[in-house]
Amino acid sequence: MLQGQSFTGALQSRGVDRRRFIKFCSAMVATLALPPRYVAQVASALEKAKKPVLVWLQFQDCAGNSESMLRSSHPTVAEAVLDLLSWEYHELVMAGAGHQAEAALERVVREEKGKFIAVVEGAIPLADGGVYCTVAGKTALEIARHVCSNAAATIAAGACAWDGGLVRANPNPTGAVGIEEAVPQAKVINLGGCPQNPANTAAVLVHYLTFGELPAVDQYNRPLFAYGRIIHDQCERRAHYDAGRFTQEWGDEGHRKGWCLYKMGCKGPQATFNCPSARWNDGTSWPVKAGHGCLGCASHRFWDTRSPFYERLPDVPGFGVDVTAGQIGLGVTAAVAAGTVVHGIASAVRDRMRTRAAIQPSPAKPKAKE
Amino acid sequence: MSELRQYSWSEAHSPDSTFAPVRVYVWELPVRVSHWFIFLPVVVLSFTGYYMHNPFIVGKGSTTFMMGTVRFIHLVAGFVFIAAFLLRLYWFFVGNNWSNWRAFVPLHRRQWRGMGGMVAYYSFLRKDLLHHVGHNALAAVTYLVMFVLMFIEILTGLALYSQVRSSTVLNAIIGWLPRLIDIQNLRLIHFCIMFSFFIFVIHHVYSAVLVSWEERNGLIESIFTGYKFVPSDELEEDATSRSRR
Repeated sequence: MLQGQSFTGALQSRGVDRRRFIKFCSAMVATLALPPRYVAQVASALEKAKKPVLVWLQFQDCAGNSESMLRSSHPTVAEAVLDLLSWEYHELVMAGAGHQAEAALERVVREEKGKFIAVVEGAIPLADGGVYCTVAGKTALEIARHVCSNAAATIAAGACAWDGGLVRANPNPTGAVGIEEAVPQAKVINLGGCPQNPANTAAVLVHYLTFGELPAVDQYNRPLFAYGRIIHDQCERRAHYDAGRFTQEWGDEGHRKGWCLYKMGCKGPQATFNCPSARWNDGTSWPVKAGHGCLGCASHRFWDTRSPFYERLPDVPGFGVDVTAGQIGLGVTAAVAAGTVVHGIASAVRDRMRTRAAIQPSPAKPKAKE
Repeated sequence: MSELRQYSWSEAHSPDSTFAPVRVYVWELPVRVSHWFIFLPVVVLSFTGYYMHNPFIVGKGSTTFMMGTVRFIHLVAGFVFIAAFLLRLYWFFVGNNWSNWRAFVPLHRRQWRGMGGMVAYYSFLRKDLLHHVGHNALAAVTYLVMFVLMFIEILTGLALYSQVRSSTVLNAIIGWLPRLIDIQNLRLIHFCIMFSFFIFVIHHVYSAVLVSWEERNGLIESIFTGYKFVPSDELEEDATSRSRR
């Protein structure tokens, strides 16, 4: 349909004028934490770019990342990114179905080998030969190996594709893993988050189209521009934290006044993401701004490591979910204090007994004193 | 007199003129300094650390920099603690016989026997206390465990601080730890070890008072002055047991 058409032409046919396009470029440059002078470079690179082909694979997922991508209208991500790339395969939105759709995917892998971009959404089950997720009679692992190892780059969109996410959470019945673990030979960039932020996905694509390479990454292969800073350090409620003003329970005075959600289990201090600056829903809000603590959804294996979501610390193994580490610690300390008091009394009794024995050794023998 | 000695529960209760107490310099200055500069920061760190875990004082509209101040105090106290810990670590290798690492690590049968004797005393299976010039064997092993826990506390604390600080130097030193164990579990470990300090302090103060009472040798005072008053025979025994090693 739009293949062959220039990017500018495609945008204009959709009614996106030059001004909105430059706004989009500025937003992308800001998200990538690049200096403003790169706006011109990004704009010219995008105008000249030959539309690369993109396929979007969905495995054990909830389609939340697709929804997140499609529902973003700012900064015209849907218009710009959908037109920037030739979106050849995406189960949620494609018009084709059945054999025709699968043929389109096969054609991309064959004809665009080493050039197309693969986006993966959802975890890949490895248990029992991968039977827990199959598409068109093939397991997720077979499809991922076939597609991702032939792609120029693979974007793992969301927590499940990155590290297995919810699907991999303990006890992980399907043996689910992320794309990096399932297909080690693929060149993967991880965009964690539940869901991933479409602004970041767009920024990675823009970076790739402008500079011909993927952005700088951290130890988890996540782009540093999005995952390099702690949420707590960018939070608009940080001043309340430093001042010691905390919400004590949902709906109390502090909560209504927008005080810090630290005591409600907010994982902002433990999470890195650009949520507070990139935000959601056209950049209007994000969880903490809406009055709910951060779950740390962009953290590694967050369902296991960041739960319980409404407590500061993880549960102590072996003590169930109703007892906190603080209660256990205070309880043990109190028990030791009580034991010490008992031992002290017993020692005093022993001292009295020994002293009496020393003064009155035995009735048969003469007393030592006098 | 011999009857009394047979039944008496310690030499100190029936002073024996044949072995006059000798004034011995047991705890050298770095030992005492590190003792107090570990104890005082632990008090401060426990209070501020617990507040950081559960801010029990909640500010009102005009409260000043409460959490910020508490965190600052926690960090300063933490680095004082680390300095004192390193001083003590250094003194394990240059200190006298009673503060040397050999006094802490139970490598000899003599130390294991001493531990058994102390366990028997604490559990009322034994009437009399074994006398020691330095630490008794059980106390020494307890301190060794505490030093290990302090070291874990320092490592986890630095790892948590490196996340806040984003310092290249700190990350080079401790960056491996959060990759090994998730930062939330490090936080849990850091928090739980605090209670082991509480438990230790209760036991430590109690047993120091108890042993000081039993031995009447100025044990409590020795952590301020460094001197203990030890019967000359005990001092000789201590020296010979060490040379037999």
